[in-house]
Amino acid sequence: MSETRKRRGLQRRIDKIDAENIDYPTPSLAWMGRTHQWGTRVKPGNKGLTLSSLNVGHYGEIPEFWEDQTRMPRGSVAGPGGVPPIGYSVRAKHELWADCAGDLYEEAIQRRWAPTTDVPWATIEPLPEVVERAMCQLCTELCQHANVEIETITSWQQELSYGYHEVKMFLATETFDAARHFEVFRKRALCNGGGLGVESQGRVNRMILENRGGWTEAMAVLQLLRGTLTHTIYRHGMSFAHNDAEAIIFGKCLEDKSRHLAYGLDHLKYAINHQSDQALILEQVLGIGERHLVRELRDPPFRESLAIIFGGGIEGARTHGMARYQHLMGDFVRQYLDWSDWLGLRRREFVAPELKAFLEK
Amino acid sequence: MAVFPSIEWFDEVREVFNTHPEYHGAGGGACETTFGVRVGQRMFRLTMEGLECISADEIGEQQHETLDFYLDLDPDEWQEMLENIRDHGGADLDHSLNTLDLELDEGLARSTGDQYRQDLFFRYNQTLQHFFDASARIRTEF
Amino acid sequence: MNAAESVETFDLDLGWLDQMGEWGTRAEPGKQGLTLADIQLGSYGDVPAHSDNLTGRPRGAGKRADGFRVGGYEVRDKQDIWLDNAAMIYEEAVNRQWSSATDVPWETIRPLPDDVEQAQCELATLLTEVEFVAGDVPARWVAATTPDYFEPRMTLLAQIMDESRHMDVFRKRALANGGGLLQRTGGTAGVVGSIDMSRDFTEMSSRLHISGEGAVLSIFRMGELMAYNEAEKIAYRLCAQDEARHVAFGVMHLRYIADTAPERKEEIHCYLDESERALLAGQQNPAAQQTPVSEALAILLGGGKDQFDDGYRKLLAIRRRQVKEYMQRVKSAGFGERFENGRANPELKTYAQL
Repeated sequence: MSETRKRRGLQRRIDKIDAENIDYPTPSLAWMGRTHQWGTRVKPGNKGLTLSSLNVGHYGEIPEFWEDQTRMPRGSVAGPGGVPPIGYSVRAKHELWADCAGDLYEEAIQRRWAPTTDVPWATIEPLPEVVERAMCQLCTELCQHANVEIETITSWQQELSYGYHEVKMFLATETFDAARHFEVFRKRALCNGGGLGVESQGRVNRMILENRGGWTEAMAVLQLLRGTLTHTIYRHGMSFAHNDAEAIIFGKCLEDKSRHLAYGLDHLKYAINHQSDQALILEQVLGIGERHLVRELRDPPFRESLAIIFGGGIEGARTHGMARYQHLMGDFVRQYLDWSDWLGLRRREFVAPELKAFLEK
Repeated sequence: MAVFPSIEWFDEVREVFNTHPEYHGAGGGACETTFGVRVGQRMFRLTMEGLECISADEIGEQQHETLDFYLDLDPDEWQEMLENIRDHGGADLDHSLNTLDLELDEGLARSTGDQYRQDLFFRYNQTLQHFFDASARIRTEF
Repeated sequence: MNAAESVETFDLDLGWLDQMGEWGTRAEPGKQGLTLADIQLGSYGDVPAHSDNLTGRPRGAGKRADGFRVGGYEVRDKQDIWLDNAAMIYEEAVNRQWSSATDVPWETIRPLPDDVEQAQCELATLLTEVEFVAGDVPARWVAATTPDYFEPRMTLLAQIMDESRHMDVFRKRALANGGGLLQRTGGTAGVVGSIDMSRDFTEMSSRLHISGEGAVLSIFRMGELMAYNEAEKIAYRLCAQDEARHVAFGVMHLRYIADTAPERKEEIHCYLDESERALLAGQQNPAAQQTPVSEALAILLGGGKDQFDDGYRKLLAIRRRQVKEYMQRVKSAGFGERFENGRANPELKTYAQL
């Protein structure tokens, strides 16, 4: 069939080209053989053909500084110069690198999920109105956490040079995850007789977005400080979930957030180990960030919505609900300080007193 | 054994496609389109919704505008494609929907007037291929 | 002290309960699950023509007087970024993700003649280079757009994810079969690429989604004709699906502009004038004539460098199909008059008549 008809179809078009007496070029083939390394044959392993497995020989050499200002793939041949620059500003490895980025990228793809279909929405049952209001307020807050994550990373993406493609690609998964988080908490707020809550005043959001001095500094406040808090809320969310839908939402978001933190922490470690002044700078940045966080925590909607959820209502919120909120915050501060210790950042000693107070709870 | 083309044949393929998860992943997935399968002078309308092909019916010319696009082959060409799928468990390189679309005179996927709607053929190409590949699991009479 | 006396009591300030967004919303999941379309209820579905949201507030949430203006969003007019089916395209993207590590049957790759492998690697090098243009550039616009228009923003985030996977799958192809990366083209750099430099979202979208992605979609479709194994066939086909979503974004955004901002049509035509020049001759179009990549394509389509002329004729024939599809998309977007009034590049029309 198609053999006859295919030939007829293609041939008809080709005949028309012939009829035009097109002057066929003689191929220069000058591009052939222009390679730094030929003969590369990476085989798929038990996780398939992964990004990190490609880092063999010349292709696995990740330079300390990426000179090229174009989209030249790492390991390809630059060829003649004269290519106008794009203008990447983050070009040193210590400014963005994390060894785990390639693996996290593949993990994100393998563990993808869809809020529309993977959450059993039908398991959500009506809640007491004040509890529903508190859930909706928390969802609104978490939408904004995701929104700031999206806006922070996307505003940097074009600044990150091409030589470190594993990082750029991992960040594409992180913003896609964050889009899903924005989506899933909006859906949760709008599916059970409620609505969105009141917006955050935005102190911490502002602090994260305004940390434009360097990618590493932005990661410190986005991932280590805010990210750890979000991570802690997701962990507790799995325990206070009112139904299977909420349990799955928090569980899936927790997995995603853990990857984001893994990149963030691994990068911070790399930056601190490869830049003499980095730890001191980060201590300053985090100290400022903690003070903004402390002021934001005085704002009632976040704290009280969690207390109402934990307490099962307003009366319960006044007592054991607020106590459990403080316990959550204690978990957050403990985790934050543990990770800071691991990074070699002196936060345990200098952490904002109001945050330190949660450790007693 | 179902006869191609017939609503019964499409229903049997739908049953296989809808109930085998391997046709829903690996680049497949949710799909929202109503497309046509033209066999000679006959036009069948298939509706994809989510992970399933939810209906198949035969339509007249006045209903063609309900289609996003349609796949057009002569009966013997359909037979060759479906036999190739049967023999290989799926279309080989020369018989995939996309290859046929590129190589055939006027293409395989035809527009009903709007390129945006015709582009759904590309957007859902793997799912459409999975659907026809599912026919390898039924017995077909021509 | 007994247990009851040990319980600490806290004061609450519950004023925020009265500041929340519209109440009583109960979106129901349908057969497809709970989609974004299902939650477009009441004020939550009201997309403002102009957004005064500078605080990053989720659309429909309660506004507070003391919120910080942290957004600084450049795109706050709906017509500048909107398309009517963004939510649907986003959901489709979420649902149709795939993995280049495990969904491509890499084990089907077999050694190829050296000229064919070099051609495949040249093409893979180019695609690795160009794909993340469509990652970097949309990212910038996501950050610049108010969250009131979150549907197109999320669709762009899905696109960035897709482009990342495309960059990845072609790097994998280049390094999986005894070859390697070759020389970069530089065709996407700086002002040469022009997509990077767009100062307006619609300008960017017309270049990126309509002409750029449309051209790459054609290459991916062509990929099945020049695939030498199942792995290449699947990789190209799955990339083509993704790319078709990106093209759909551009078509529907231009259609929205054509319908709601006809005063901008002349300006958009100028962008299309430039895009068409690049489509016919520029480095941005991998199938454009007389570039290293077009040589590689001809070798792949012909079956070797000794069959270059055969492959080249086939390439030209397919390019005409590509141009025809471009024209149909521009018509679908509401700018088809350029093909009637003599504005479009005449070469395009010649192609279309073939």
